[in-house]
Amino acid sequence: MLGYIVRRLLSAGLVVTLTSMIVFALFFLGPDNPAQPLCDINGKCTPERLALLTEQLGLNDTVYHQYWIWLQGLFVGREISFGPIYQCSAPCLGISYSTRNEVTAELLDKFPATLSLAIGGSLIYLLVGVFLGTMAARVRGTLADRGLVTMSLIVSSIPYYVLAILAWIYLSLEWQIFPDTTYHPLTDGIGAWAYGLLLPWLVLGLAQSTAYARYTRGQMVETLGEDYIRTATAKGVAKRKVIFQHALRAAIVPVITIFGLDFAFLLAGTVVTEEIFDIDGIGQWGIRALRAPVDFPVVAATVLIGAVIIVIANIIVDILYSFIDPRVRVS
Amino acid sequence: MTANPGELEAVGDAVGQSVSAEVTGRSPTRIAFDRLRKDKVAVGCATIMLVMVVLAALAPVIAGALDIYYDIKDPAAPSPSEVLEFDGYPAIGPPLHPFTWEHPLGLAPKTGVDNLAYLLYGLRTSLIVALAATIFSTVIGLVIGLVAGFSRGWVDTVLSFIIDLFLSFPFLLGMLALAPILISNAGNDLDKLARAQFIALISILVIFGWMGLARLIRGQVLSLREREFIQAAEVIGVPTRRILFKELLPNMVAPIVVAISLALPGFVAAEALLSFLGLGLTGTPSLGKMLADAAPYYKDYALYLWMPVATIATLTLALNLLGDSIRDAFDPKTRR
Repeated sequence: MLGYIVRRLLSAGLVVTLTSMIVFALFFLGPDNPAQPLCDINGKCTPERLALLTEQLGLNDTVYHQYWIWLQGLFVGREISFGPIYQCSAPCLGISYSTRNEVTAELLDKFPATLSLAIGGSLIYLLVGVFLGTMAARVRGTLADRGLVTMSLIVSSIPYYVLAILAWIYLSLEWQIFPDTTYHPLTDGIGAWAYGLLLPWLVLGLAQSTAYARYTRGQMVETLGEDYIRTATAKGVAKRKVIFQHALRAAIVPVITIFGLDFAFLLAGTVVTEEIFDIDGIGQWGIRALRAPVDFPVVAATVLIGAVIIVIANIIVDILYSFIDPRVRVS
Repeated sequence: MTANPGELEAVGDAVGQSVSAEVTGRSPTRIAFDRLRKDKVAVGCATIMLVMVVLAALAPVIAGALDIYYDIKDPAAPSPSEVLEFDGYPAIGPPLHPFTWEHPLGLAPKTGVDNLAYLLYGLRTSLIVALAATIFSTVIGLVIGLVAGFSRGWVDTVLSFIIDLFLSFPFLLGMLALAPILISNAGNDLDKLARAQFIALISILVIFGWMGLARLIRGQVLSLREREFIQAAEVIGVPTRRILFKELLPNMVAPIVVAISLALPGFVAAEALLSFLGLGLTGTPSLGKMLADAAPYYKDYALYLWMPVATIATLTLALNLLGDSIRDAFDPKTRR
């Protein structure tokens, strides 16, 4: 078990390192000088100013050297002279070009909003999806079942951002059913936090739940045909107990796998949700940083954190697997 | 549907290469196509798609006939001051004035661009980008999947690692990060810019779109390559390339067709998302850009908002439902 985790962590580390390298290479191997748009913001861009900015950003060094410096900053911290001199300590992701703050601090500042959104949304889609899927499998072939499958097919066929923008416009702005869709930190009280995030949670959760409902339904239908389910029913176990305790436990394993593999989609979902509902999280921060002039340290930080979250989620799911499914022994 | 014995047998044999001779020679693809033709949803969606493709292909003809323009810089287009009021709303057509045949779907506020023309050209962009991305990602996914699945040892290990690497990349952030970099670096020559942007956008979609098929094909090849007909081919000395493309490939028509039909709507949605977020094509009309432009006008000019919404939704819905029907048609387990 321990050996397995170590091996997985090593390969995860490799993935994350390669990801950061790719982002670096793409950004700095492009033909334009990244300092140019920065220089253009504040009125006239003199050649001296451009040269100074280029020097300050360390763009005169080779890409390898820049990457090495960035990596060093991540593990031991570094000193950055960008206007004033910054003492950027251990997990240093650089200084944002646009706000001139430490990227690590901004990241920590914006992380809770994204985390709240992701946890709430994924809880809703897991619970609703698994519940609806189980129910549909139970009444398989009826009108309710077919209606659910058709509905879920239609909802998951329309791009998520179209649904989200319609929900935002009509449910929040026009009809004022959810008048407040801003993020309040938990320190403002759990009520304000949940109230502000309710619509984004519901939109993210319900739109994604359709896929899980269909998937759970498929698994449940298969499991309900197994002999041990018939045995349990024949023994006189209550139908509800058969479904939720005997069948669901077996049917849910592949659903959990999909959940782990879908983490990239959850992340993408939160990015779009944040942008549409104007939630000040990592996704919105990342998108803003990408619009010209590109704020590279922020882009690198968001891609890095995204990759880290995905690989960790995959490892956790693999380990969880062995607890949920007694047949699986990770080795 | 009552299955006749021949069809059942043919379906059962679909995984193997040859359909036995006494069956009336219907290939699995043929069976799937026949099933598809009886599927009302599939026929409906295919018709919708056909109409959309024709509309997109005829965009210049339609725009020319109605004398409407998608680009305000077009010398023949009316200047914004002619067609807009002082507050930026159109001076003719919806939302404040009655319907006019001059601009059947009205004008966009602020820019004065004709909505119908913009919509048609946006549809054209969507379809071209999605089609090109689908073709290239299918070819790449196919080749990598075939090679990874067929070669044992380190080639497979390396290719599988690359597939996993791309799958664990946060694709949206990656796509978003790549888009402005590639697109803005596409060059500054205005004539070349549009084409370079197109190529950049398609490359981005391909870079993040080939892994699913590659993994699927690899899995299929892993199970197929141990089958007798492949061993037989190896024993009689058929060259590897021939085994890959003449023996293995025909057995994977079904997963490939299904993957293609489900990739198309994905790329349509991704292209519109990029331009919706302001990171896609700049010089070309796009449905996503129209959606982003129209969102603030939801109250006074709902028609303007609903045009891109309806077009994107119809396009992806029709393509997805068609893809789903194709999957069912190719699936021997589906009972109808």
